Amino acid sequence: MIAAGLLAQAGLMAAAVVLAAVVPARYRARAAGPAIAGIGVAGAVTGLLALGGSQGVVEMPVALPIGPLLLSPTALGGFFMLVIGIVGAIAAVYAIGYVHGPSASRSSWMALAVFLASMQLVAAAADVVSFLLFWELMAVASTALVLTEHAQRATVRPAAIWYAGMTQVSFFLLLAGFGILAAQAGSTQFTALAVTAGDSTEANVAFVCLVLGFAAKAGVVPLHVWLPRAHPEAPSHVSALMSAAMVKLGVYGVILVVTRFLVGGATWWGLLILGLGLVSAVYGILQASVASDLKRLLAYSTTENVGLMLLAIGSAVLLRSNGTTGVADVALAACLLLVMAHAAFKTTLFLGAGSILRATGERDLDRLGGLGSRMPLTAAAFGIGALGAAALPLTVGFVAEWVLLQALIHGASASDRILAIVMPLTVGAVALTAGLALMTFVKAYGIAFLARPRSQGAEQARESPLTMRMAMAAAAMLVIALGLAPGLAARAVADAAGLVGIGSTGLLGIDLPAVGALLDPAWLAILAAALAVPVLMVSLRYARRRPRREVDLAWGCGGVRVSPRMQYTATSYAEPLARIFDDSLRPERDVIVTHSSEARYLVERIQYRQRLSDVFETRLYLPAIGLVDRMTTAGRRLQNGKIHFYLAYSFIAFLVVLVVVTL
Amino acid sequence: MSDAVLAQALGICSALLLLSAVLLVWRRAQVTALPLLALQGLALAGLVAVIAISEGSLELLGVALLVLLFKSIVIPLALARAGRGEYGGAPLINTATSLIAVAALTALAYAISAPLAVLGTGPAIQAIPVGIALVLYGFLLLVTGRHAIAQLIGFLVIDNGTATVAFLSSGGVPIIVELGVFLDVLLVILILYVLTGRIRDEYGYADLDDLTELHD
Repeated sequence: MIAAGLLAQAGLMAAAVVLAAVVPARYRARAAGPAIAGIGVAGAVTGLLALGGSQGVVEMPVALPIGPLLLSPTALGGFFMLVIGIVGAIAAVYAIGYVHGPSASRSSWMALAVFLASMQLVAAAADVVSFLLFWELMAVASTALVLTEHAQRATVRPAAIWYAGMTQVSFFLLLAGFGILAAQAGSTQFTALAVTAGDSTEANVAFVCLVLGFAAKAGVVPLHVWLPRAHPEAPSHVSALMSAAMVKLGVYGVILVVTRFLVGGATWWGLLILGLGLVSAVYGILQASVASDLKRLLAYSTTENVGLMLLAIGSAVLLRSNGTTGVADVALAACLLLVMAHAAFKTTLFLGAGSILRATGERDLDRLGGLGSRMPLTAAAFGIGALGAAALPLTVGFVAEWVLLQALIHGASASDRILAIVMPLTVGAVALTAGLALMTFVKAYGIAFLARPRSQGAEQARESPLTMRMAMAAAAMLVIALGLAPGLAARAVADAAGLVGIGSTGLLGIDLPAVGALLDPAWLAILAAALAVPVLMVSLRYARRRPRREVDLAWGCGGVRVSPRMQYTATSYAEPLARIFDDSLRPERDVIVTHSSEARYLVERIQYRQRLSDVFETRLYLPAIGLVDRMTTAGRRLQNGKIHFYLAYSFIAFLVVLVVVTL
Repeated sequence: MSDAVLAQALGICSALLLLSAVLLVWRRAQVTALPLLALQGLALAGLVAVIAISEGSLELLGVALLVLLFKSIVIPLALARAGRGEYGGAPLINTATSLIAVAALTALAYAISAPLAVLGTGPAIQAIPVGIALVLYGFLLLVTGRHAIAQLIGFLVIDNGTATVAFLSSGGVPIIVELGVFLDVLLVILILYVLTGRIRDEYGYADLDDLTELHD
């Protein structure tokens, strides 16, 4: 069954590529879109089967002396395949209505099919070569997709170059890490790699290479620089796929490393992963909270969520090395729940952002507004997604963060000194992250959908076509459904990693016997409703009895806010925050005052500009790139195009070799 | 013929090979270069013939004839046609420097061929450094030659050097292998012949120093 599912994915990919190539432009979306959705569905079904414990192998013999390529998803791989498949199916349906211009081209559809299928097969790979093969295929296809609109905007090309560069860095690190492991084990199959001893130098080097390689793909600080560039520039369905699915494969890799290949290493292994996660979570949400580009905001929020996942993995490793396996299981379960939650709400949010972009042509929050009444379904879906991202109750985001906090709080009570220091700090960081996330998504939703339109594009917005609405509704339903009945999710997560510290109470609740906690959102909802409904009814009745009141602005001199320019903007909303975190964000501010030509005391116009750059990019990457640039410029003097120099180089090299051999 | 005479003949041929190569580095005008190349071909053919006689091999004698035909007649004539009398400017390093370099390279050739002494003690093995020196001179000519034809001569000297080493160390190679090598060299000559002509037609000269950029 598993083998059939894997072959179905490959077959559907081929079919989708052919359909995208041959079907004329008018019907292309309606032919290729469903085929790609089929890849996603096939992946989800295969993943579900693997999660249920089914086994199956697809072997591909190759001419090279490396043994056959093996595809055989484990339960963990099946979990990720399920998540990616669902996201992929939703994004493909969305794409049918969304694509226009270059994103509706042949190459774009073909790349989408290859991208989705290769992501699913990465999760199925059972040996190093096939893993890296599909990993590269995924990277190439996604780079092509990021480049889709390169003719429209000048910012696309540098984004794609950053992305391709960081992807290659990630690939080389993985190659090095897997190379060390394979050399130690004498085999490239995953089942054989696990024999590497935990504390040798080789294991340490392999661990650092693999974790950094996967972290680069996951968008973890300081390897995240490609993410806030590539996500905004890609078409929105691609952003959704990249952010909700591809980035998760980095997390999958880290989990593979700590639970399969290099189990039980030194304490600093756990601390490294936890530290990366901590910095990413706080820095990511900080940048998101001050971003005014909607898709950039969502991209940084991805960095935050991946940070939380890594933080969960890191604390699981620490807790396990301390012997508290039950709590460690809860932490790992929190990571997988976060994967699920983030996939659901980030898909919703990116698809919503795409809907806004398509309707208004704007991504800048400062130029949006008032879309709530014009695009009701987009507004509802985006709102649900925002609730999920802010981890408020009744959404899946809340469930995941609740489990995470349970693990962290109960981990702190251990007698270990490192845990006693690290866990409370981590709880504090997670709390800060949660608070900032709430503010960020209040801003994103409030500025975009409420108040009055701030630009002509926002004023003339129309609701999106049917397939887009269907996809957004489906994604939003997932956020709510998994949030109301997380029992199923909990069971999937427990199966995926073979965890014992987490269980479910029927369909609806989560039970954490290891920490003695129980969550039942449905009862929570009923309880909340039982409290809220009477209060609401009483206050409504009471309000009816009162005479009608007119409320006006205090000190408004009888006027109203006449211009949309008097409203809060995204920048002004986040301004206090940008001031508080001035030192770590380092925004550039310009205030330009134009005086009236008649009198210097009269001000004609004040312009306020604020530019936010990424500290890591300006302080770490640009100097490094500058250094490499200078070195290569110096190197060009060697490579001057004169044939005599080239001949002389080889002659000198020849002489040197001869002399060395003689000595 | 006695062994002593054969050893003498071998010594003369090797000396001629080395001398012609040194002269090639010293005098770079085409008028002298092509006869010198022909002389080198002749010396190589003589060397092969001496080895053939000492081993009593008719096949090797055929190889000697082939060497004579190609290396001392066909190729120099073809080069004379290709060069059409022009040979470009002076080499990139002056004569004194090239002669010092030649001395150093000869010393190096003798130093590095010391391990080859294990192959035997005969006069042929003793002469192997000559072949290696020829390869190094050829490389020097290749690096310092300004004109396409000058570089071609360097290339041919390298080829002569390799052939010398091959004959001296293994007592000759089968005729079929030798034929293959000849055809290879001939093909390279043909390609370079055509290329030189095209470069000159395109730019009016064949000085490689001026060709530094790629064009569509």
